[in-house]
Amino acid sequence: MTIAYSSIAHSIQSIDSLTAFSESVLAYPIVLSIHLTCIALFGGMILMTNLRLLGLTFRSVTIREMVTSFRPWKRGGGVIMITTGLLLAASEAEKYAPNPYFWTKMVILGLIGLHALIFRPIVYNQTEELDRSPVIPTKAKVAAILSLVLWTAMFTMGRLIAYWEGYEG
Amino acid sequence: MLLQNAIADALNNTEWAFPLAECVHIGGFAVGIGSIVLVDFRMLNLGLRHETAARILRYTEPWTLIALVFVVFSGLALFSSQTSIYLVNLIFPLKMYALLAAIVYNFTVHRKVATMENPPPALSKFVAIESLLLWVSVVFGGLFTGFLV
Repeated sequence: MTIAYSSIAHSIQSIDSLTAFSESVLAYPIVLSIHLTCIALFGGMILMTNLRLLGLTFRSVTIREMVTSFRPWKRGGGVIMITTGLLLAASEAEKYAPNPYFWTKMVILGLIGLHALIFRPIVYNQTEELDRSPVIPTKAKVAAILSLVLWTAMFTMGRLIAYWEGYEG
Repeated sequence: MLLQNAIADALNNTEWAFPLAECVHIGGFAVGIGSIVLVDFRMLNLGLRHETAARILRYTEPWTLIALVFVVFSGLALFSSQTSIYLVNLIFPLKMYALLAAIVYNFTVHRKVATMENPPPALSKFVAIESLLLWVSVVFGGLFTGFLV
């Protein structure tokens, strides 16, 4: 089982284009920079949307506008993040495969998906109702806090991937 | 100097201190740059079109400032832990110039145009793109500094 698993990782990173990618001096740091730039470009949208749901800022802007105006950008940012992330992980699949921080990050990514499935229908797609409500409903605040916690865990795990020393290759 | 050594010792002798400082640094720039990006996107007509850039700036500026404090202090801590390595790094000084330019630009030209009553659209767009380019170059500079350490 372990052998099959590591040989899968080996085959992935042995794909010619991925080998060329990880061996290039510039390609890897450039793609990692793009991955990090996305945090800077789209992290603020996630943060401010959630802070708005908590009633901490942008109070004169409707929740509806906060959510709908950033949605396409967050989606686009997500696509770039996942694409660059896959490229980074696949090019060094043998290093990533046994890395517990990497898999923790993937679990958190799954939880972010689950968060969307649960809260999109009851919070993020109900912004008109939220704007009409005299106080921001608890469900919206719960969604915002969970989102902030998940994204903080996400970038923390991303950084910690580099610190795992179990791999000897 | 004494304080600097104390910070450096803590970061070098504690296993989790350096990665923790890095995470604060990343979280800080996400909030700091991310909040400036909202103003830039408004100036480019790409988001929050029902609000003025001036108002968005008023909401985001406190977050930008707080985040900047966290980024600068965590950055100083990271720097002081391996001073000699950063001082010979080829990219690090470039990052510092870009950072200085970005900060000065943000609180002068960018702020001025974002708070103008009726700025010419072309001026707003130019200033916003310049702001985005400056901050992105700081992120790239930081990452390439790390790759050359």
